[in-house]
Amino acid sequence: MNILKVFLIFFFLIHLNSVKADDQDERNQITKNLRCLVCQGQSVYDSDSEFANSLKILVKQKLNEGLSENQIYDYLKIKYGEWILYDPELNKNTYILWLLPILIFLIGGVIVFKNFFKKKKDQL
Amino acid sequence: MLYSTIGYYSLILGLGVSLLIIFFSVKNFQNSKTISVNILSFTFLQFFLVVVSFLSLIISFVLSDFSNETVFNNSHTTKPFFYKIAGTWGNHEGSLLLWLLVLTLFIFIFILKTKNQPIKYKLLTLIFQQIIIIGFFLFLIETSNPFNYLFPIPVEGLGLNPILQDPALAIHPPILYLGYVGSSIIFSSALAATSLNLVSKKWASHIKKWILASWVFLTLGILLGSIWAYYELGWGGFWFWDPVENVSLMPWLALTTLLHCILVLERKSILSSWVIILSIATFTLSMCGTFLVRSGILNSVHTFANDPERGLFILIFLFILIFISLFIFFFFNKNEEKISHSFFWLSKETSILINNWFMMYFLSVVLIGTVYPIFLDVITSEKISVGPPFYNKLLVPFLIPFLLMMAIGPRLKWIKSQLEDKIYLIILLIISILLAYLILKNFSQNILINTVLISSAFYLFFISLRDFFVDKLKNISQNIAHFGFSIFILSILFNNLFSSEIITNLKVGETFENSETKIVFESVNQKQETNYKSIIANFNIQNSNGEIDKFSPELRIYNQPIIVTSEADIKTTLMEDRFIVINLVQNQNFFNVRYQVKPFMLWIWLSVILISIGGLLSFLKKRS
Repeated sequence: MNILKVFLIFFFLIHLNSVKADDQDERNQITKNLRCLVCQGQSVYDSDSEFANSLKILVKQKLNEGLSENQIYDYLKIKYGEWILYDPELNKNTYILWLLPILIFLIGGVIVFKNFFKKKKDQL
Repeated sequence: MLYSTIGYYSLILGLGVSLLIIFFSVKNFQNSKTISVNILSFTFLQFFLVVVSFLSLIISFVLSDFSNETVFNNSHTTKPFFYKIAGTWGNHEGSLLLWLLVLTLFIFIFILKTKNQPIKYKLLTLIFQQIIIIGFFLFLIETSNPFNYLFPIPVEGLGLNPILQDPALAIHPPILYLGYVGSSIIFSSALAATSLNLVSKKWASHIKKWILASWVFLTLGILLGSIWAYYELGWGGFWFWDPVENVSLMPWLALTTLLHCILVLERKSILSSWVIILSIATFTLSMCGTFLVRSGILNSVHTFANDPERGLFILIFLFILIFISLFIFFFFNKNEEKISHSFFWLSKETSILINNWFMMYFLSVVLIGTVYPIFLDVITSEKISVGPPFYNKLLVPFLIPFLLMMAIGPRLKWIKSQLEDKIYLIILLIISILLAYLILKNFSQNILINTVLISSAFYLFFISLRDFFVDKLKNISQNIAHFGFSIFILSILFNNLFSSEIITNLKVGETFENSETKIVFESVNQKQETNYKSIIANFNIQNSNGEIDKFSPELRIYNQPIIVTSEADIKTTLMEDRFIVINLVQNQNFFNVRYQVKPFMLWIWLSVILISIGGLLSFLKKRS
C-alpha cells in the first residue's frame, strides 16, 4: 500500500499540471451550463454550431463588460427562455424538481430507521 | 421481396404460437405433474419463427432489397458489409425485432433450464412472459412492421446515419437488450412466484442467476454506449445526463438494488415484498425507457423515430402491465415476513437496507430529472432543461455516505458484528483522508467537498484492497465489484479535476504554443472510401516532457445521407488519454482544433469491466 501511495503522489507530481482559474475557465464554466438550442442535447461548450460559437463570443463579451456568472444567466434567460439553462433555478416551477428527491430521501430514511427500531423491540 | 414475405408471415405465425402456448399452459396447469412436451416444442417453435423473421430482415439488408421500407430508410448499397448487418438493429423496427428475438430466446432457456422449481410456477411465468411477447408481436405488426413493401422499388436507399456506423454501436443494442429483456423474465417470474406464494429462499437463489446475468449485460451495454459517445460524438465526455442515457441508467439502478436485496432474501427470507416491488419496477422502468425513446418525446441524440401512434401503443401496453402487476401484488402477496430472524442494527442486512435507501434516492433523482421537464411542458407549456449541474448537485454529496457505507457494510458480520478488531477501519480512514488532502493540496484544488469525496472513495479502495489479502476467495465477487466501483469513482473524480484542454483555430502550417504544449498543424490530406470522403489533418504535438506524438484526426463527409462527422484521434495510455478533434468553421480557411488531456480515462472503462467481472463470478459460482 505504501508503494502505491508513493507511486500515486509521484505520478501526480510529474504528470499533472496545476489548473489556473482565469477568464477562459470562467467562460467554459458558463457555457457548459448552457444548452445549444439548435443541437440535439449538447451544451454550448461542447458544440461547434454557429449558434454555439456566437454564444461563446457573447458570453466572453459579457464577462469583459464585468457581468457576473448569474447576471449572464439572467440575461440569457430573458433573451432565450429558461430552456437554455442546464441548471434550473429554484422557483415555483421547479420546487418539485429540486425538493421531491430530497423528500423521498427523508421518507426512505424514516422507513429504514423505523425498521431498525421495530427489529430492536422484537429482540427484547 | 421474397424475404420480406417470409419474415412477415413468420411474425404472424409466431403470434399464433403465443396463443397456442397460453392455451396449452392453462390446460397443463390443472394437471401439473409434468410439463407437456407441446409447450416446450411450441416455445422453441416460436423462437425459431422469430429467428427466421430476423434472418430475413438481415438478408434483406445484406442484399440491399429496397422494396423493403426499413431497408430503404436505413441502408445504402455503398455501405460496408458489416454495417449492412449491424444496420438491421440500428433502426426502430429492426431493434424491436431484436428485442422480440431475445424475449423468445430467454423464455425458451428459462423453460429448459429451470429445474427444481414447481411446474405451476414455470407455467405461470411462461404465461406472463407470453403476455409481454404478444404485446411486442402486436406492436411490431401493427405500428412498426419491419417488412413494409415499397412500390415502385427505389434504386437506392437513404443510408444509415454515419454516427451509428461504428463497431461499438453495432454491438451496444444487442448487449443492452439482453439486459433489458432479462429483466422481463425477472418480472414474470416474480409475478408467478407471488401468485403462487412461492417467494422464498429457494426462489431467490433460482432467480438470482437471472438477475446477475441481466445485470452484467445491462452494465456492459451501458458501458459500450458510453465508450461510443466518448470517441464518436467528439467532445471528449462520456456521460452527458442525456435523457436516453438516464433511461438506461434507471433500470440499472433498480436492478443493482434488487441484486443486493435478493442476497438477503436468499439467506434470511426477509424483504420478500420489497424484492417483488423491485422486480416489477426494474422491468417497468425498462419499458418506460422504450416508451420515452420511441415516442420521440425526448430531445436527445438517440431520437430516431417520432411517431405518436407508437408512443400511445407502448403507453397503453405499459399501463396494462403495471395494472396486472399491481393487482397480483396486492391480492396475492402474503405479507408474512418471518420476524423470527430479528437482526441487530449493526448487521449486514442493515447495510443493505441503507444501500437500498441511497439507491432509491439516486433512482428518484434520475427519474424526476428526466420526466419532470416533460410534465412541466405538458401542464404549463414552460420548457426547462435539466442538465449535468442538477445531477451533480443532488447526487455528489450523497455519494460520500454511500461510499463509506459501501466500505464498512460488507465488513459487518451477517448477523451481529462486534466493533472490536476494527481498528484498521479507522486507520485506513485516516490514511485515505491524508492522501486525498495531499493530492489536492499539491494541485491547489483544495475544495472541501472534493477532499471528502476523494477520501471516501480512497477508503472504499483501501478496504476492498485489504480484503483481497485477508478474505482471499471469500466474497470475491462482491469484493471485486466494490473495488471496481471505488476505482470508477476515483477515476471520474481525477478525470474531472485534472483534465486540461486547449481550444484554438489553426490553419495548415500554423503552430499553437503555451507553457506546456506545442501543437503544430503539419498538413492535410484527403482519402476516398466507398461511402465517405475523409479529410485527414496531421498534427505534431509536443508535451511538457518534450515528447512529440503524431495525431491525425479526421473529418468524414458521408455520401448517404450527406453528413459531416468528426473522428477524434485518441492516444490512450494507462495513465491518460490524449484526445484531439477538428471541426470545420463555415466560410473560413482554418480549422477549429480541440485538444484535451484526460487522465485516468482508461480506468473508467476498466473499472466498469471489473464491476461486471464481479457479477460474472457470482453468476458462475456454485452455491454449496
